[in-house]
Amino acid sequence: MTSLRIFVIGGLMSYRALFGWLKPGILIPTLVFTPICQILLFAYIGRSAGVGDDEFYVIGNALNYAAIPCLFAMSFTIEGERQGGTLGIVLTTPARRLPLFLGRALPVVVNGWAVAMIGVVGGALLLDVHIPGGAWPSIVLAVVVTSASCTGLGLAMGAVTLRVRQGSTIANVVFCVLLVFSGVNVAQSDLPGWMAAVGDWLPLTHGIQAARLLADGSGLGAVDGLLLRETGIGLLYTVAGLALLRFFEDESRRSASLDRV
Amino acid sequence: MTSDLAVEAVGLQRTFVTHTGVLRRVRKDVEAVKGVSFHLERGELFGLLGPNGAGKTTTIKMLITLLLPTGGSARVLGHDVVDDVREVRRRIGYVFGGDRGLYERLSARDNLRYFSELYGVDPRRQKARIAELLELVGLTGREHERVEGFSRGMRQRLHIARGLLHDPDVLFLDEPSIGIDPVGARELRATIGSLTDVGKTVLLTTHYMFEADELCDRIAVIRSGEIVAEGTPTQLKGLVTAGRVLEVETYGVAPEAVAAATAVPGVRSVLAEDRGQQQVLIVQVEPGAEVTQAVLASLGAARVGRVSAREPTLEDAYVQLVTG
Amino acid sequence: MRALLHQQWTCYKLQLKVLSTSAFEGFLAVLFPLMFASAALLIYRVQDDPESMQYAGLGAAIMGMWTAQGVVAASMLSRERWAGTLELVVASPAGLGRVLVPATLAMSTIGLYCVVATIAWERWVFDLRLEISSWPLFVLSVLLTALTLALVGYFIAVTTTRYRYSGTLGAALEYPGWILCGFLIPVASLPAVLQPLSWAIPTTWGMAAIRSSADGGSPWGDLAACAATGAVYAVLAAWLGSRLVESARRHATLALT
Ligand SMILES: Nc1ncnc2c1ncn2[C@@H]1O[C@H](COP(=O)(O)OP(=O)(O)OP(=O)(O)O)[C@@H](O)[C@H]1O
Ligand SMILES: [Mg+2]
Repeated sequence: MTSLRIFVIGGLMSYRALFGWLKPGILIPTLVFTPICQILLFAYIGRSAGVGDDEFYVIGNALNYAAIPCLFAMSFTIEGERQGGTLGIVLTTPARRLPLFLGRALPVVVNGWAVAMIGVVGGALLLDVHIPGGAWPSIVLAVVVTSASCTGLGLAMGAVTLRVRQGSTIANVVFCVLLVFSGVNVAQSDLPGWMAAVGDWLPLTHGIQAARLLADGSGLGAVDGLLLRETGIGLLYTVAGLALLRFFEDESRRSASLDRV
Repeated sequence: MTSDLAVEAVGLQRTFVTHTGVLRRVRKDVEAVKGVSFHLERGELFGLLGPNGAGKTTTIKMLITLLLPTGGSARVLGHDVVDDVREVRRRIGYVFGGDRGLYERLSARDNLRYFSELYGVDPRRQKARIAELLELVGLTGREHERVEGFSRGMRQRLHIARGLLHDPDVLFLDEPSIGIDPVGARELRATIGSLTDVGKTVLLTTHYMFEADELCDRIAVIRSGEIVAEGTPTQLKGLVTAGRVLEVETYGVAPEAVAAATAVPGVRSVLAEDRGQQQVLIVQVEPGAEVTQAVLASLGAARVGRVSAREPTLEDAYVQLVTG
Repeated sequence: MRALLHQQWTCYKLQLKVLSTSAFEGFLAVLFPLMFASAALLIYRVQDDPESMQYAGLGAAIMGMWTAQGVVAASMLSRERWAGTLELVVASPAGLGRVLVPATLAMSTIGLYCVVATIAWERWVFDLRLEISSWPLFVLSVLLTALTLALVGYFIAVTTTRYRYSGTLGAALEYPGWILCGFLIPVASLPAVLQPLSWAIPTTWGMAAIRSSADGGSPWGDLAACAATGAVYAVLAAWLGSRLVESARRHATLALT
């Protein structure tokens, strides 16, 4: 019961407490205007290069941009704890760590999902892309899965920021890596082999593929393998992140390593 | 397992490993706490005093499970601070001074709500409990404001409310009164004092001696990681070798009279100070000795004005303990 | 005069040091456009047409300049404000312009560094060798583009100071600049409503000049347009700058954080 409340209510409150973008002056430029611009940028590039169609870029970039809240918000909710000096207090509470940290992921997933959906819908409207009405429910699901797996990566990064400062720099770099490696703008088959191989182990890659297939009219049955793969990769990063958090907490009791801000 | 002691530290040690230098990193061990032993009875208010860097915060961090001891052991309410981490955490509250450690973007009430969740405060009790605590620390009416706009003292009060949320049996207060205005500090002392009335055990560190004197049942003075004295405030004052100071105003006292006063048993030294027409004799008295009558008698014919005696304060005792 | 030059040189060196050691304005301002350029080149590479690779390679090389100068400039004054130094700067006898000029020049230096770094990156990673038919004209075009972009940056810095989240605003300018300036997308292929916006930015003309000098055409017409639009921004910025200081003194917005 307590753990459930920590997961849901605690998660929501720490998201509110630690993610500093929840003001319209920041929210609208970063999470509405910019993703649409990224979609337009690559869609026009694709048109000039004569590669791909608009739908391809709308889906790829909208989902890629979901990584911004997933990576930044998730790592802020852990890094900010240290900057504000609250980490010590949180760690003296008896709260179970699993719901404590996983709960923070929930609002982040919703945020990422919303950003991606704004991108897909906005991009489709602006570029006049037609996506069949029946495909939308399964696209919504694919986007949820993808934001969740990106958030897993964000959690792992958040754990790293307990040790390495400069969390937002790391998040930016990871975002760029996703942009280039996970088939956002170039089909994986057109990427150089080693890049495609890296992409296979990143979140986003399979989610984007699934969403593209769905938008082209495939049924959910045709993409379940991809979505499962996406989920698995997200889970992998989540477990790695939780293990790291656990390790750092234990380690900080031994060597006072979380004291130094 | 069943222990009546609220806190028990036995030979507690903590060494930090630090590195200096960038290219050739030199390893340096800092012995912050060098084997301290003390205990707190249930319901006791115990003060830990000592100069900056003496190891007070480090000791507290070991007791609240944030740091592992490198030697010795400690129990809180019978639970080992290394092994029974969750049991310990459930029963303790921790408040430190300063303006960090709060969620700036949340309101005071939301800060408290968040921590009540983490401490597993019964959701049905939560609302009432938060209102009660806000009232206690005098923040009622400001609870909807974001903490980023709070003054230092308001933050400190909020910290205290946070530490009390889950009604802990043992409270660790690390310099809770820094940055609080005099009236607020007085209220805070009243609050801390009342905690023991309801059966809580409190471990307090502070740099304000009058605060420790007023509040603490027992005090330990820690210096460079070692406890150099322990006892009730009165016992500590008794340790002061300076003893009482007697000041006697006289008019035209003869040097022989000063010598006679010096000879009185129990008097350590007499110093005559000229203040205008009068001379003031400053008589250092050995602890426990009662010399006023004998000194006055020894002055013979000299006219005597006001006589006053000053008790040594806890501060006198502290200064002597940490400098001596 | 010598004293002025000395002061400007010192400020320039200081600003360059601050920028190049900061993760955000130094490292990321180089990395971010480089990664986007790579993504674009990966797209163009699919067709494997040397002519369009040359087109994309040239544009990608200049893209970073937009970030290093335009985007970073937007947050420059607010960075000073966060640090609490904006009031000191305005109060200093040197005046705002004398502080901003070396700062924008420092950003141009990073911008030029981006150009060189991207050209090297294209060679090393994409095995793409740019054909430059006239190096003197090419260098001249790049320098004029950098200079006029510095003026745009100066203009952005001045206009966004009053906006609390100007850093965010700067970041929001990044993609529109990449879309509009003809780095990777020919201006003619943009929707008609956007084209006048492109023409209003000197960088668009600079980019056109760079392409002409690389491909053997005459860049002079584009260079003239680039210089002219740049001058407009300079005049506007100077005028707004003095207004800004006035209004800030009146409304006490300098210390606002
Ligand atoms: N994380 C750490 N790494 C290295 N040394 C540390 C660390 N924390 C504390 N120390 C050292 O341990 C010693 C004791 O520090 P501590 O914070 O316990 O002092 P304190 O008694 O609380 O002082 P104050 O009255 O100033 O709060 C100091 O010499 C300090 O430098
Ligand atoms: Mg301390």
